[in-house]
Amino acid sequence: MMGMVGITLEEITKKFGNFTALNKINLKIEDKEFMALLGPSGSGKSTLLYTIAGIYKPSSGKIYFNGKDVTETPPKDRNVGLVFQNWALYPHMRVFKNIAFPLELKKSSRNEIEKKVREVAKMLHIDHLLDRYPWQLSGGQQQRVAIARALVKEPDVLLLDEPLSNLDALLRLEVRAELKRLQKELGITTIYVTHDQAEALAMADRIAIIREGKILQVGDPDEVYYKPMYKFVAGFLGSPPMNFIHAEVEGGNIRIYQSKISVPKQYREIIKRLEITEVLFGFRPHDAEIIRGEREGIKGEVYSFEPLGREQIVTIAVNGDVFVKVFAPEGEHFSFGEKVTIVPNEERIILFDKKTEKALEYFP
Amino acid sequence: MRDVETRPRRNEWFIIVAIILVSLPLILGFLLLILSSFSEDMITNLSPNSFRPTIENWINVFQGKLAITGGIRQNILKITFNTLIVALGVSGIVTLISTLAGYSLSRMKFQGRKLMMLLLLMLHAFPGVALIVGVYLFYRLTFPQDPSMVRLYSFFYVVLARAALEIPMSVWLMKGFFDTIPWEFEWSGIIDGASRIKVWRKIMLPLIKPGILAVALFGFLAGWQDLIYVRTFLIDKTLATFIEANIEAEYSHMPLIAAAGTLYLLPTIIFFLTAQQLLLQGYSGGIKG
Repeated sequence: MMGMVGITLEEITKKFGNFTALNKINLKIEDKEFMALLGPSGSGKSTLLYTIAGIYKPSSGKIYFNGKDVTETPPKDRNVGLVFQNWALYPHMRVFKNIAFPLELKKSSRNEIEKKVREVAKMLHIDHLLDRYPWQLSGGQQQRVAIARALVKEPDVLLLDEPLSNLDALLRLEVRAELKRLQKELGITTIYVTHDQAEALAMADRIAIIREGKILQVGDPDEVYYKPMYKFVAGFLGSPPMNFIHAEVEGGNIRIYQSKISVPKQYREIIKRLEITEVLFGFRPHDAEIIRGEREGIKGEVYSFEPLGREQIVTIAVNGDVFVKVFAPEGEHFSFGEKVTIVPNEERIILFDKKTEKALEYFP
Repeated sequence: MRDVETRPRRNEWFIIVAIILVSLPLILGFLLLILSSFSEDMITNLSPNSFRPTIENWINVFQGKLAITGGIRQNILKITFNTLIVALGVSGIVTLISTLAGYSLSRMKFQGRKLMMLLLLMLHAFPGVALIVGVYLFYRLTFPQDPSMVRLYSFFYVVLARAALEIPMSVWLMKGFFDTIPWEFEWSGIIDGASRIKVWRKIMLPLIKPGILAVALFGFLAGWQDLIYVRTFLIDKTLATFIEANIEAEYSHMPLIAAAGTLYLLPTIIFFLTAQQLLLQGYSGGIKG
């Protein structure tokens, strides 16, 4: 039976020579939680995962498993399961041997090994493949073997390093749902590293967005999606990403090039208090309408449109080479160069400070 | 239009002829040696008349009759066995040391690692002949007093000394093989609960089997073929010193020496024919990216 395992990271810094890969990371992961570490490549998310696993030792800072300091504990005594991006299955061992390897090192009895390997293989639907070598398996099957090997020793924490990135797109969607289900059934604290925002939103209980070795924001998928703290977070989540336009505050209005719209309700107080004059005006492609005729909104010309079946993405030139993308329902017809007005959903507008790129509502 | 890859190269025959021409002297040399061993006289004059087939030379070699007339006898089986001991000894030591040292140079951080790799390269550039005076001095210094130990000691010493000459290059070779294995294999093993030495033995070594085979093979051939070190330090004879000693002897019957020479060449030929495929083979699958 697995115990309660929460993980606390305290001021974790990791340096490789002069390069700071992790910069004072503070993060708390609750017991049984599915936490995604999301960031572009080179952001330090894998380094953080390997630091939690014990492969890297932090340059400074502390790691606690359930309140116990494990910073100096070697990896094998941390009882973590790790699935690598390339799966790292041992090519000279059959699937059974691969999965049994951690148990053999623990000197479990042969009966116990046999029982546990079959159990975990059955759970992952690979029990018919135990006699094969890794190279005889498909990508999806190899990945299951890697997960089985991580789970067989009943780890306190499951660490996944972009486990889906080597699967083809269709299989990825399938495994995504399954992995989420498996995590909840096993109730195992899981940390999942990914650069795919859709994966993080779809699977995780909470997401930590990392850039350049720093955590920008931690929150549940709704929170980071609808209440992004930074322009980077807003731009990284969602596809296509959020639109950002430079805008100026003039009294109760916001001027965007030739257009004027009134300051959204939720920002009136803040703008007055902060006395801000320049902002980044943000809204998601799904949170706006395209109107023909006179309405308060952002004026522009249709630059291009891409039908996607159920809907279409319309690219609109707001001012010369400043473009925004807005979703329009299927069936609506546009022509190149057509004059239109974009009306963003007022509640969903997010204003960022131009200099710090932080959303205004997060200012103290 | 044909694909670039499948277009027949018009000049291919020219290249083949050139290759054959260049290697002809070598091929001819080996051919004459092997043919002579089955002939009553040496066929060095390239005349077909001088080839009178017989297998007597081979029978004489295995019986240890060195001269047709004289009564000189040498136990050739024992000499072959001696050669085998030296070859296997060198191979074993070279393989053990180079797999361990190659792993640590490839995977571990320690003081002087860079310097050590540089020195290894320099050592490799040193010819064994140049070192022999120093190696001989050490041989004399450590020479056992007890006469019953002397022969055993000379085997032990020649194996160690010859292996030492092979080790620098073998370590470099092994380091290269270890370098090609992704770190994830090792990390995975460590997370699964293995110690470094267990990772080395259970995960890394099976992954670089072709490399180990190559190093073991080169070590074996080095020991098998060595002349100078064996001649200087080994009290017993190996095939190399046996041939060398008899080739100039008055009583020697050249076709018989040719048979011994062919015997001496055999492992090289066999190994390169059989191990070729194994050396080129590597593992695939189980890892992506």
